[in-house]
Amino acid sequence: MIRALGVALALAAIAALAMIVAGANPIVGFFALFRGALGGPNQIAETLVQTTSLLFPSLAVAFAFRAGLFNIGAEGQLIIGGLVAGLIGARLNVPGALAIPVILVAGAFGGALWGSTAGVLRARFGGNEVIATLMLNIVAALLANYLVVGPLHSPGATGAETAQLPESSWLPTLLADTRLTIALPIAILLAFALRFVFDRTIFGYELRAAGDAPEAARRAGINLARTAFVAMALSGAMAGLGGATIVTGVLHRFNVALSPGYGFIAIAVALVGDLDPLRIIVAAFAFGILQSGSLTMQAYAHVPKDVVTFVEGLAIVALAARRFVAERAKTSPA
Amino acid sequence: MSGPLVDFVELTLVKAAPLIYAALAGVLCERAGILNIALEGQLTVGAFTGVAVAFLTGSPLLGLVAGIAAGALAGALLGIAATRFGVDQIVAGTGLNLLALGGCAFGLTVVFGQPGASSEVHSLGGRGEWILIALAFLAAIVLHFALYRTAWGLRVRACGENPKAVRSAGIDPRNVRLIATMIAGGLAGLGGVYLSLGELDLYSDGMTAGRGFIALAAVIFGRWTPFGAMGAAIGFGALAALQFTLQRSGIPSELMQALPYLAALAALTGIAGRARAPQSDGVPYTE
Repeated sequence: MIRALGVALALAAIAALAMIVAGANPIVGFFALFRGALGGPNQIAETLVQTTSLLFPSLAVAFAFRAGLFNIGAEGQLIIGGLVAGLIGARLNVPGALAIPVILVAGAFGGALWGSTAGVLRARFGGNEVIATLMLNIVAALLANYLVVGPLHSPGATGAETAQLPESSWLPTLLADTRLTIALPIAILLAFALRFVFDRTIFGYELRAAGDAPEAARRAGINLARTAFVAMALSGAMAGLGGATIVTGVLHRFNVALSPGYGFIAIAVALVGDLDPLRIIVAAFAFGILQSGSLTMQAYAHVPKDVVTFVEGLAIVALAARRFVAERAKTSPA
Repeated sequence: MSGPLVDFVELTLVKAAPLIYAALAGVLCERAGILNIALEGQLTVGAFTGVAVAFLTGSPLLGLVAGIAAGALAGALLGIAATRFGVDQIVAGTGLNLLALGGCAFGLTVVFGQPGASSEVHSLGGRGEWILIALAFLAAIVLHFALYRTAWGLRVRACGENPKAVRSAGIDPRNVRLIATMIAGGLAGLGGVYLSLGELDLYSDGMTAGRGFIALAAVIFGRWTPFGAMGAAIGFGALAALQFTLQRSGIPSELMQALPYLAALAALTGIAGRARAPQSDGVPYTE
């Protein structure tokens, strides 16, 4: 905890330095960042929207990491989930009450398909899932662009996006006139469910065993190939569900630019949350503040918003080191 | 001399050069046991630093040198994180890609006072571009000889296969790996400079357009050898050139763009014959 605080302070100091380099007053910069993120009910709602969009892929990344798999492909899985949700949502003709669950499940399936492609490569052929998910990220973006601009182009759409979803398919909002929807409680429920799966089920135990000590797990009769496949598919489903909630809750259509890199920032969120689903909720809120406050910081304090991306990258490198240091401290006798 | 075929070959070389640099960087790192997924970031850092220094000093040559140095520094960050702090290479690589992306976008606004793209600067010119293309091929030859004909190369390859054996020979594998990531970063930085000061005369956000990931595909397709990776990079360069030729043919450009990645996925299944990564590729070495 103290160490995490130390890392956070160091990152804040670096951000402050960057603001000075950009010719801005760091106090003004941080003030604008927090005012943009937490300065009123609308700002807080928007921060919670970003929290939600980060929470799904972060849980996806953490789930795969716990099973010993590097899912660097949450971004692609999120895009495919959003794509499927958008394409179905814009065409679907079922009564409103059914439409939302159908679209969300379809999005999750899309993400699961994308994730399990990497899972198959790993399980059947022993292919490196890191390379596979990296490649699938780019293929996802190209596929989405091709389908939305090309053969599945909706007449009503202007850019690289589907037509708008009928209002009956929009996720119900929690707060009038904001984009904050029931996606947030869904994501939080998912986090609690994951915590339960990890702590209380045999399946969760097998996943963790495969991640922590694959050789011992294999000798204990756990099928590592099957575990890898299932973990990647479920991880993809979570990211895909996240994409579907952005489409049904935030944008009300699929747009190829629906993610500013949520799938990558998710890696930072998962690490900050120590791969623990409940702590990841808190971490996602912290990163949600950065995401939603950065535009205000740029507008009022003249600090380029890219500082946030820079700090997020730094956080990933620093926290991965911190984890290792902590583990080494635990295992070494001295 | 001109004509459609000559144009096509020319364009292939132009598109292949940055991929060759990045793919060679990937080969060197992976042969040393570091899976460098931060190539994209190193290309970006090289491209941006080249243009920024060329703008500030008025000299594209200084920009070239600075771009290589910045790439090497970015490579060193990965090497230090992976060998000194035991940070997982994949996690560090992902972080460094974000860091490079955000840092260069930030630097762009600070140096040029505008987001998105820099203003035009003095580039290396047409001749400079072709010298850099020729250098890419030379680099492949040099890396081949260095890896297979020198004691240093033997140590690098041993670090990728069995670092413990290297240690028992009295050499610290961590140092070998660190040096490899720095040289590789410099190569990737040079590839970035080629993009911004050779092929073009400016930097814009996202201009590397996934070439660092195509390079990773070229490494697999080229079976972790310098000449193999160079060949794959030329093949992917030809695909990029073909896109221009086939623009009006009805073949979706996205499909052409996706081919290198799909080829890499196919290669991962072993469909193209035996493709084995170095034994300790991506495996941390700690003492």
